[in-house]
Amino acid sequence: MTDWNAMTDEEFRKEVRQFFETEYPEELRHLPHRPKFAEIEHWHRKLYAKGWVAPAWPTEYGGMGLDAAKLLIFYEEQQRWGVNRGRDMGVQMVGPLIIKFGTQKQKDYWLPRILSCEDIWCQGYSEPGAGSDLANLRTRAEIDGDDFVINGQKIWTTMAHDSTHIFMLVRTDPKTPKKQQGISFLLVPMDQPGIEVRTIRTLSGETEFCEVFFDNARTPRENLVGELNKGWTMAKALLSFERIFIGSPSLAQNALGQLESFARGRGAFDDPVFRDRFAQAALDVEDHAALYARFADQLKRGETLGADVSMLKIWVTECFQRITELMIEAAGPDGGTIGPLQVGNVSVDVLASFYKARPTTIYGGSNEIQRNILSKAVLGLPG
Amino acid sequence: MGLAAGGVIAEEVGRVIAPEPVVVTVGLSLGLLRRLCPDHPKMAQLISGEAVLAVAWQERGPNGGPTGASCRYTGGKLSGSKAWVVGAAGAQGFLVLAEGDNGPFLVLAEAGADGLAIENRVQADGSAMGELSFSDTPAEELASGEAVRAALTEAVSDATALAAAELVGLSDRALEIVLEYVKTREQFDKPIGSFQVIQHRVVDLHVMREVAQAGVHEALARMDSEADPKIRARLASRAKARAVTAAKKITRDAIQLHGAVGYTDEFDIGLYLNRALVLSAWLGDDAYHRRLWFEAREEGGEAQ
Repeated sequence: MTDWNAMTDEEFRKEVRQFFETEYPEELRHLPHRPKFAEIEHWHRKLYAKGWVAPAWPTEYGGMGLDAAKLLIFYEEQQRWGVNRGRDMGVQMVGPLIIKFGTQKQKDYWLPRILSCEDIWCQGYSEPGAGSDLANLRTRAEIDGDDFVINGQKIWTTMAHDSTHIFMLVRTDPKTPKKQQGISFLLVPMDQPGIEVRTIRTLSGETEFCEVFFDNARTPRENLVGELNKGWTMAKALLSFERIFIGSPSLAQNALGQLESFARGRGAFDDPVFRDRFAQAALDVEDHAALYARFADQLKRGETLGADVSMLKIWVTECFQRITELMIEAAGPDGGTIGPLQVGNVSVDVLASFYKARPTTIYGGSNEIQRNILSKAVLGLPG
Repeated sequence: MGLAAGGVIAEEVGRVIAPEPVVVTVGLSLGLLRRLCPDHPKMAQLISGEAVLAVAWQERGPNGGPTGASCRYTGGKLSGSKAWVVGAAGAQGFLVLAEGDNGPFLVLAEAGADGLAIENRVQADGSAMGELSFSDTPAEELASGEAVRAALTEAVSDATALAAAELVGLSDRALEIVLEYVKTREQFDKPIGSFQVIQHRVVDLHVMREVAQAGVHEALARMDSEADPKIRARLASRAKARAVTAAKKITRDAIQLHGAVGYTDEFDIGLYLNRALVLSAWLGDDAYHRRLWFEAREEGGEAQ
């Protein structure tokens, strides 16, 4: 087995880049929507055969065992080439949790099925009354013989309609003094009569989000990961490393490239006001990349990222939104038109970009929540 | 010493809003002399701090804005005027850019030279910006020809980058003062920093500061390893545009977050606002540098 970490960063980058450039299907580059598994299955098979499905997992579980520096390179190359992340909730969320907190039996059973995509996972965290205030969740799980019986509702469950399993936070003890206590982490098969999935149509016309209803749904007790009532701490323990990715420059960089070619085609650069706003946006992206590099260097030195990494997400998502708003301005009277707009030999779907930018300041902890975090954990402002 | 290291010093100068001509001396005066006449005795005096030389390179056009050089140097004498000369009041002499019959000159005019009149315009931070006029003023020739223009471009880039670093240090300290204030000032029986609207505003200033620090550090480091003057100028513009945007926002919001006392002369925070006004205007503000940056980007192509 290759020891990727023994390579130099440059060698590794070259290797990853070459694989993506030669093997990644052209028609899947920069997919504007989240694909169903069937749409990207042929790509997943290639990744699986190469052993690259789980770059962050230790090699003993079938991962690539990449250290932080190499992992960052892997993701940078993925984004650069527009490689779809695939249905990676299993690899990104459940797998690491099972590896860290699961029993040997759980590891042996679930991990290979995640890698092969025999099981496809979705994340059941948010509820109608538990969004930013996630610990307020009310979906109950009660022990009944060898099973948990689940009742309640999850929402904003991405791609639940195309998943075989859901990992979820449920309330297993409703009488604890703090609402963060009494929450457990369960693995639940979705193919059963007690679970109903309804898709939610978003402003962009996509149906990536779902509601999931639980009416006496069941899962075996052995599908509890970690200790009963300790799910909250476990779920939070996972977040530290992932938080840098949600603040990576790629979304804004790609949008800026789109804006530039579109605006050139439209002659928007003849307008000095537009030129200045473009320059502002471009410098916002460039200076964000400098800040991102500072955090990435921290990771590469083996340091843990602190709460201040939240600022990357705030800056880049708001910048991304401004860039897509400039696209609409450059479109002029076409700014309300659905579908790709042709300029010269470039075609840009202005509204699709605009809609894509909207939820980025909401998901992954809304930007207001990120500001709360920075305020308390970094600046030390009182209660 | 490179710009990255010089920037560290400039940041410290900015933090304490020191009224010292560090950036103008290191960036402009020394920047010109070491490129054009490194063996001149004034070099050693400048480095040791014995002498301060102000640099007169800009001129005021008919509408008040900057224009090309029309100040003349012929037969060892200067005539014409120069504007925006930082440190004119305390300088022992002036490094003057002037046009001769066959191209540009860098000359040295002593502060008390005949025919030199200095009008000092008081700045927001209490410093003075000099407007000079020469009438057959004797001056020593230091250098001439295209080398002068090239050295000036480089020196202005350096000074612009260092001014950006000074603004970063200034913003950093101004935000510290704000944080101390909102944590201790109480209203409605609580520190005002416990109110979410205050918290989110302060967080935005913090993010602004961090982006500015990262962007300016990166730009200065890249200038150190870059030889092409056009690319260096573009990096300097990037640094100054970012630093001015951040410093303006931070010092102005700082006044608001201090409430009424922020508007008095009693609190230090006002000194930061005033210094930021002067440093922002000097060598071009954010709008000006965004324009230069964009023009350079158009000319040089996206890849640099």
